[in-house]
Amino acid sequence: MSTGMPSVPPGAVAHQLRWSRYRFPDSLYGYAAWIAVLGFLAFSVNYLDIPLARIPDMFHRMVSVIASRYYPPDIEYIMDRDYLDYVVETIQMAYLGALFGLGISIPLGWFGAFNMTPSRRFVYPVARLFTMGFRAVHEMIWAILFVSILGFGMLPGVLALTFFCAGFAGKLFAEEIEAIDMGPVEAMRATGANLFQVMVFGVFPQVRVAFTGIGIYTWDVAFRAATVVGFVGAGGMGWYLKRAVLQIETERVAAIILSIVVLVMISEVVSAYARARVMKMK
Amino acid sequence: MPLVHETAFAIQLDHENLRRARGPETAEMNAPSNGAGTDAGATSAATAATADRLLADRRRRRVGRLVIATVLVAAVVWSVDVTIVQDTDWKRMGSLANVLEAAGEFVGVDWGLFPDLAKPALETFMIACLGTLLGVLVCIPVAWFGALNITPFKPVTYPLARLMMTLSRSIHEIVWALFFVAVVGLGAMAGIFALAMRSIGFIAKMSAEAIEDIDPGPVEAIRAVGGNGFQVLIYAILPQVLPQILGVVVFEWEINIRRSAVLGLVGAGGLGLVFFRQMNTFNFPGVTTVLLAILGIILIGEVVSHFARKAAI
Repeated sequence: MSTGMPSVPPGAVAHQLRWSRYRFPDSLYGYAAWIAVLGFLAFSVNYLDIPLARIPDMFHRMVSVIASRYYPPDIEYIMDRDYLDYVVETIQMAYLGALFGLGISIPLGWFGAFNMTPSRRFVYPVARLFTMGFRAVHEMIWAILFVSILGFGMLPGVLALTFFCAGFAGKLFAEEIEAIDMGPVEAMRATGANLFQVMVFGVFPQVRVAFTGIGIYTWDVAFRAATVVGFVGAGGMGWYLKRAVLQIETERVAAIILSIVVLVMISEVVSAYARARVMKMK
Repeated sequence: MPLVHETAFAIQLDHENLRRARGPETAEMNAPSNGAGTDAGATSAATAATADRLLADRRRRRVGRLVIATVLVAAVVWSVDVTIVQDTDWKRMGSLANVLEAAGEFVGVDWGLFPDLAKPALETFMIACLGTLLGVLVCIPVAWFGALNITPFKPVTYPLARLMMTLSRSIHEIVWALFFVAVVGLGAMAGIFALAMRSIGFIAKMSAEAIEDIDPGPVEAIRAVGGNGFQVLIYAILPQVLPQILGVVVFEWEINIRRSAVLGLVGAGGLGLVFFRQMNTFNFPGVTTVLLAILGIILIGEVVSHFARKAAI
């Protein structure tokens, strides 16, 4: 989009022209795009039969539902040994899934970074496709697929998280590698280093800190996902949640959700602290 | 070749550093022989002390790193043992051939299902769009309260907004959907609310950070000419952060398409519902077909978001 003043013909009175950031055809496209988006949204409301008139009423209902059914949360239910075992299992699942996923995502990030990929014509599109495919499929769908292939248990959960993390971190790694300074890489190449040596001595020192930060963040995200993959039978706290939901024990559901929120908050604080420490080392 | 010069310079610099690092020892060796003044001796002692401290620091850091590495590796071994070795029902899973056979059932596409997928795909897409829109609307006050430089009443509104952001991001969309299905009933409405709640955290956090980073000049200028708080927001803050926020919103919309495809699991309609129906009837090629449809709408979303982000920036 071109920005700047509309061109004023010499001799014309400048103050008669209304200033606009965009020139004529661009401004038209901009307005057309906005109108199209709004029109589509209005059409969606119509198509999905959203009862707009009932929305104010819903807030009232929301409060009454929380007050009558979900309060007070049944804290005793989640304080027993059995549940704590599931919490530990969830943490382990997230840890392994993130670790294996990071292991896959490092080559994915390398091959999918446009500046460092071994072959721009063959390897790059394949790596990009894999990264996108891993990312595009939601972790719950991965979990369902693996449960149907491998049976119930934590192994399908770990594999689902592995695929999810590989896509998540692969994209971030590739972006990080694309942003490096090419000087050291050229220096390594000039001294006759092979592909692997260029990677280890030219690229890796530049992205080490960023990779560690991304790795910790990936673990954090994996933990959030791990709390619910059990919902489809992949182990961890999600299984508890599913059971409470099916039994319509809403106060237990509230307690489990509360415990998930607390655990995720703790993991967020821990990961923020660890990332800050890693960044300071830089 | 400037590159060669740079490399040579770097090597030279390295030697310089090495010499400086060796400094204390040579200074100590030299000090008694040439009988230098107490001044030089004190300096060299100080340098030696610094070097000692640095070395000790390095050693400590190395030990710390070793401890962390040991703990991490031990955690891997323990987790693998508990989650994979003990928890898996290896007998039921059978041999590798059985697993491959089970996976092989998914190969193939159920072409007859395609015509039935158009409507759910559109629904999924629309739920994602409306969820993002609602999320953005709710975001406006949250981002306003959560930005340190413009929050109206810091002791109350700032923590409130932060709590909202964390709550929104820490509860998974499935859990949000469960809650809203209980409140507003089955259907697209629950999905839209769930996506909106889930989107608030990220959009509000990024927007608040963008607002905290603005140039205060325009804000002062609008205040100086007598603009009220609302006018400051509209004319001084919004123009500075709008491109960034639009980029974040488009990004979140893209993720919301992905999310809305699974909300059918808890009764929020769309492609997810078809997916689980295919799964429950063991029509595995149909499952693959639905996955392809999900990939298709995500691809559309990615293309649109690519152009939209370009236009926004």
